Amino acid sequence: MTRKPPAHAKKRGRTGRARPAGRRARREQDAAAPALEVSAVEPPPGPGGPDVATRIREFETRLDRMIDERVRERESQHELVDEAPRRSSFSPPRALVPPAPPSEGLLGSARELLSTDFYLRKWGRLGLRSRSEEVDEFGYDPVYEQKVLPLFELLYTRYFRVEVHGAERVPDEGRCILVANHSGTLPFDGMMLRLALRHEHPRHRELRWLAEDAIFHFPFLGSFANRLGAVRACPENAERLLSHEALVGVFPEGMKGIGKLYRDRYRLQRFGRGGFVKVCLRTRTPVVPVAILGGEETHPMLARVEYLTRAVGIPYLPVTPTFPWLGPLGLVPAPTKWKIFFGEPIDLRGYGAEAAEDEILVGRLNEQVRSAIQAMLEHAVRQRQSVWFG
Amino acid sequence: MPPSSHPIQLAPRGGSPLGGPRARVVAVTGAAGFLGSNLIGSLEEDDRVARIVALDTAAVPTAGAKTRAYEVDLTQPTAETLLAEILAAERVDALAHVAFLPAPTHAAAWAHELESVGTMHVAVAARQAQVRKLVLWSQTWLYGAMPTNPNFLTEEHPLRASPREPFFADKIEAEEQARRLASRAPGTVVTVLRTAPILGPTVHNVVTRYLARRLVPTMMGFDPLVQFLHEVDAIAALHLALLRDAPGTFNVVGDGVLPLSTVIKLAGRAALPIPHPLAESLTALGWAAQLVEAPPPFLKYLRFLCVADGRRAREELGFAAAYTSREALLDFVNAQHLRDVKLLTETAA
Repeated sequence: MTRKPPAHAKKRGRTGRARPAGRRARREQDAAAPALEVSAVEPPPGPGGPDVATRIREFETRLDRMIDERVRERESQHELVDEAPRRSSFSPPRALVPPAPPSEGLLGSARELLSTDFYLRKWGRLGLRSRSEEVDEFGYDPVYEQKVLPLFELLYTRYFRVEVHGAERVPDEGRCILVANHSGTLPFDGMMLRLALRHEHPRHRELRWLAEDAIFHFPFLGSFANRLGAVRACPENAERLLSHEALVGVFPEGMKGIGKLYRDRYRLQRFGRGGFVKVCLRTRTPVVPVAILGGEETHPMLARVEYLTRAVGIPYLPVTPTFPWLGPLGLVPAPTKWKIFFGEPIDLRGYGAEAAEDEILVGRLNEQVRSAIQAMLEHAVRQRQSVWFG
Repeated sequence: MPPSSHPIQLAPRGGSPLGGPRARVVAVTGAAGFLGSNLIGSLEEDDRVARIVALDTAAVPTAGAKTRAYEVDLTQPTAETLLAEILAAERVDALAHVAFLPAPTHAAAWAHELESVGTMHVAVAARQAQVRKLVLWSQTWLYGAMPTNPNFLTEEHPLRASPREPFFADKIEAEEQARRLASRAPGTVVTVLRTAPILGPTVHNVVTRYLARRLVPTMMGFDPLVQFLHEVDAIAALHLALLRDAPGTFNVVGDGVLPLSTVIKLAGRAALPIPHPLAESLTALGWAAQLVEAPPPFLKYLRFLCVADGRRAREELGFAAAYTSREALLDFVNAQHLRDVKLLTETAA
């Protein structure tokens, strides 16, 4: 609980007792008053600050005790009612039931263990043990990431053995967009790029990457990616991230990039409609082209079955040497050697914000970034000796 | 209590920091509802408001010395002339229209008369009586929960909530009526406040009913981010919009977002995940049998994002929520916890 005492006092005070509706509004008015003044969101601490705080604490503990007693009273009444015939007019009126003695020792804890509320409370706490109570405005949950991070760290260091070249080309601060080739039926590249920058960049910058909105149609995938720091790809989200001076990774190939067949690997698909260029022009953001080598062999897709898949709600069924033949096991990526190359930043700040409306310029810049990445990829593929050992 | 002998007087010119040259006469429709009655309670204590005209079919519990109550039923065809007469006779210069249902109802035809047609009556009457300002309560839910929504919806975003659900359709039509009034009568200030789902210790609506369940149904594998607005902030925003001239549409939201799963856990409830292809028909059955609090179109809000950006209200209306989404939720949870053990009993407003 990280609430401030003054606000807290008001809340407890308001919720603490039932009152006629007429007086309710009066009470709320004094809470509403600070909201009317834009500057004073919080009431200033009065002179008797610590004194008030202790009184609130006392009040809180008293209230908690009352609730506990009431819960116990209810439980014991349930027992009574179970013995007596239901709806009997002889059930003692509430006020005459002596308040349950404060639970002490074995009997009390046994009674607590028997109450359903106890389990519900425990369940709630268990559920939150691996999650932080507060997430950032895009749903990134640092506690959850810490929990699953060992798996991704293992993939990064041992499995894909990611090698990073030129991470220092990413600016140390300020907004920046990284544009990379997309790969793999299950896209690990966003998370790998994030880890690469966290480990290898001189300032250990945190990357937020934009994920295809298709994954947000599916159960589990969308919320999982969201908690790890992925953000749904759309211009509004990108601009909001950039306005916070964030480092944003985009994969403009999108679904077409994930769905590349094995024979098309490292051949960049259409870069959308140049949405990322428009965002860069509007927000005056530099672009760093990134080539990710190795990702496109993790799930060598031999065929895409599109027959009848729309009816189930998926765009296509990927066919790899292992999937769907081995079931979920077939989704395990191949242990290829990954290399991530960062190119020279492309500065678009020379153009004005109105250049985003110029389709010819947007198309040209889009193609310029695309060919830069394509050249880096081709160079890297030529230099490579082995898919498995680099 | 405000002084009971408060005379209806003109405030000193230019004295008010919020710009009104004289004390105002404010009318509130749906005055007996939660927002209406609390808004009246809040206006009663504001010296810048000379008189409050309460319009509803039921008595207003918060009515004080400044309030004059009139019985107006917006579902009646005579409502328009009656309203126009009252507004003109009382010389109302600002009208808050908050006569909307806080939860979906099975009486869809009646709800349509009240919300959609009722707003038409209100808008036409306001134009007839030359009311200077109309403040309309709307909800961010009207944007619709879509997987293609940006994380923060701005006021320019189209309203894409399911048109087959009257709860949304009627409110979208109501906004349409308000916009029509703004274009027909250019001198009129029309402010539409789209509030996030309202939570707090005393409010009752479809969200509080949903979270009052012991087992809260969720969609398996979906965990959308949600946002709330504290009831005090909702009332404060309406109050502010009545006094400050800010034409246009504003999202009124609490700061911060929470995943739905966290909301349920903070509320001390257990989630009951249901696969979404099943949920649609189950909910349809449950709604028909009056076992669940909302019809199937509401399920989308358990799957996809519908979060609005409150920046415009902050910059142009000068509204800042005092409670974050999380604080609003915790405040509701504290009261709900007392209600669970019957320490807090109250009659529904």
